[in-house]
Amino acid sequence: MSDLVAAFSITPVPRLGVLLRLKLRILANRVGQLVNQSPLALIMAMVFIGTIWIALYSIFENVFVFLRRFEQPAVIAIPYVFHVFFVAMTLLLAFSTAVISYGALFSRDEPSFLLAMPHAPQNVVTIMYLEALFFASWSLLLLGMPLMLAIGHVQGLPWHFYLVFIVAFLGFVPIPGALGLLAALMVALWLPRLAKQTLVYAVGAALILLIVWWGRLWAVSAAESNRWLTGFLSELEFLKGAMLPSTWVTHAIRYAIEDRPRDAVFYLGVTLSTAAFFSWAGVAVVGTKLMSAFGRAHSAPNKAKASSGSASQAVADVFFSYAPPQMRLLILKDIRNFLRDPVQWSQLVILFGLLALYLAYLPRSRPDGFTVAWQALICFLNFGAVTLILSTFTSRFVFPMISMEGKQMWLVGLWPLSRSRVMWAKFLYATTITGLAAMSVTFLSVRSLALPPVLALVQIGGTLSICIGLCGMAVGMGARMPNYDEPSAGRIASGLGGTVNLIASVGLVAAGVALVGGICYRMVQAGELGSLDGYCWLMFAGLVVVGPLASWACMKVGIRRFQRQEF
Amino acid sequence: MSIILNHVTKCYGRLRAVDDISLHVVPGEVFAFLGPNGAGKTTTIKMMTGLLAPDAGQIEVCGFPMTTDARAAKARLAYVPDQPFLYQKLSAREFLSFVGQMYELDPALCVERANQFMSMLDVTRFADQLAEGYSHGMKQRVVLAAALMHDPQVLIVDEPMVGLDPRTVRIVKDIFRKRAEAGRTVFMSTHTLDVAESIADRIAIINHGRIVACGTLAELKARAAQEHRLEDIFLELTQPEPSLVEGAS
Repeated sequence: MSDLVAAFSITPVPRLGVLLRLKLRILANRVGQLVNQSPLALIMAMVFIGTIWIALYSIFENVFVFLRRFEQPAVIAIPYVFHVFFVAMTLLLAFSTAVISYGALFSRDEPSFLLAMPHAPQNVVTIMYLEALFFASWSLLLLGMPLMLAIGHVQGLPWHFYLVFIVAFLGFVPIPGALGLLAALMVALWLPRLAKQTLVYAVGAALILLIVWWGRLWAVSAAESNRWLTGFLSELEFLKGAMLPSTWVTHAIRYAIEDRPRDAVFYLGVTLSTAAFFSWAGVAVVGTKLMSAFGRAHSAPNKAKASSGSASQAVADVFFSYAPPQMRLLILKDIRNFLRDPVQWSQLVILFGLLALYLAYLPRSRPDGFTVAWQALICFLNFGAVTLILSTFTSRFVFPMISMEGKQMWLVGLWPLSRSRVMWAKFLYATTITGLAAMSVTFLSVRSLALPPVLALVQIGGTLSICIGLCGMAVGMGARMPNYDEPSAGRIASGLGGTVNLIASVGLVAAGVALVGGICYRMVQAGELGSLDGYCWLMFAGLVVVGPLASWACMKVGIRRFQRQEF
Repeated sequence: MSIILNHVTKCYGRLRAVDDISLHVVPGEVFAFLGPNGAGKTTTIKMMTGLLAPDAGQIEVCGFPMTTDARAAKARLAYVPDQPFLYQKLSAREFLSFVGQMYELDPALCVERANQFMSMLDVTRFADQLAEGYSHGMKQRVVLAAALMHDPQVLIVDEPMVGLDPRTVRIVKDIFRKRAEAGRTVFMSTHTLDVAESIADRIAIINHGRIVACGTLAELKARAAQEHRLEDIFLELTQPEPSLVEGAS
């Protein structure tokens, strides 16, 4: 207790400035290296990010233009948009700050190095907290800036609205950030060897709660309009809780829009002072407990035991019986890695499980059945959701596989197995695992919507094509833009190569979604979903070809690079 | 005393990684800490540097208890871990400058010492390249240079010779000896018995978390039944438990 009291009275230490300069120097070196060594890759990444940003701006602008058509509902709806946005951001920021802080404070080599130096642990916590806020707030920046510009443009708001918005953003970020920092401390103190599992289960639980709640909204939407609006808004009422930071930020922005500067400034003050207090308290508490938490994170017994491996052997024998024995051995190794890493398999199970749960809601909530337009729309949305989830999964887990294998090239490189076969083994493994998950959900979607055979063919064929494309893209680009120096698969995925792959994957998904959307649109225009016209067949052919084509091109580029790679 | 470990114990769950060990290391001494893999060497070192807290017992560095006055104790020591840590996106020169600033060295002295140790450890030729391109041996040399920047009274080194070429091994051995002659302390954990034999003033051998022998090389040789090489003494004192041997066979 006395430690805690002492921590709350700590004065700034000059070494914090040294640490801050260190981080800025690292950032400057990183940017300088990118500019000097990979300018093209940097430009490509910026172009893709810019494209996403402009697309988001267009979407938000269209939403606000659409809402403005309805004078009264717009007044009600726009604050809800901000409430929902900032509540979602609270959860996302708290979660990502927790993950980044845990890695930075308890699992990397850096804290060992820094904590062996003679300075207050609060310094280390402060710098890691600032770094975590910096990295975690990218999502807010990417989503928030277009949102702000869109509403400012549509409503014709004055310059001080943008000022309030930016200050509100900056003031808001540390509140969930400090909660995330405390969550990281609690995991290190009480669940040091279960950090990964805790993370996965927390995300799973949050997503299940979300989908159950969303299912209720869906059920509400089956009612007639007035009852629907009342029911829908009452379901969202808790988002407007007076004690929620998201409410304060929403109020600040709302009053800035309504040209009530005094009220806006009041809520800005509440947000900023809370952020300052939370940050101070978070750093003080975590700083006080840091050494004991660090000790626990590094001294808890590791009870992980390898299973007999018979299940993975059976999976390899059943699903990869066609592969040559050496390739199958390589695949077996990857299957064992997958099954013994809860972050990998649980992410796949959670995401596709949630999708399955959502599909299970469909028949119950629409007892009178679906119209042609609804069937086509939901089929189209399901296709988008499945392929988008696939793209995030392949970017996170498939892309780093070649980089990780590169560290074992002293072993793999000596096997009597060509490097191209190593690549194809990765491709087969990734396509089979993700394909099984994606096709299961797609079949469930086809069954739940009672799709006619032709539209079912479009959804199944399209999903399979995009799945092949995404896996080939991730393996190929993983070999073309590898990072053999980074030991963490997560960091490889979030590096430049991983970002380019993610953006390219989203591009492929967008192409697939556009083609499926085109087919669905023409079918709805024709008034029936039982047959395809000439244009639709053409689009379907494009859909079936685009995935394998992208896969082939990326694998070719990747294999060429991997064969020339020196280790 | 430079380092005092007084009945120190550390458990990982049910495993007693360090079991009631006591050690006194004096100024001007190169102290070698030997033991088989998993014997408790790194855990002991991490407790001495304040990274892990002992479950029982006390640790003092230069008279400052690590549990109650860690900052004063840490200001007097330097630690080189078995896996050298460098910021990948910093050059050796930038890294040494950072370490100097963290120990609040005068800027001019910081530059002078950085140049001195970079030259001594043959770091100068790659001093301005980013660390991501360094080999293990290059990293080890930079980390050693960084550890010497503030002229610590106690230098704690975990496996200092791994990845170093013979010339650098010789240089490092000379540095350790010179530091001891200047009244500083070097505490070194190593598997390289030749190094321990050639430069250590005293040697401790740890096995299953317990100190099984401690003394000068001559004292250890006197204890051994027949053989007189450190390798034989080490093998004799760190034999696996019979049950483990039977289990393995």
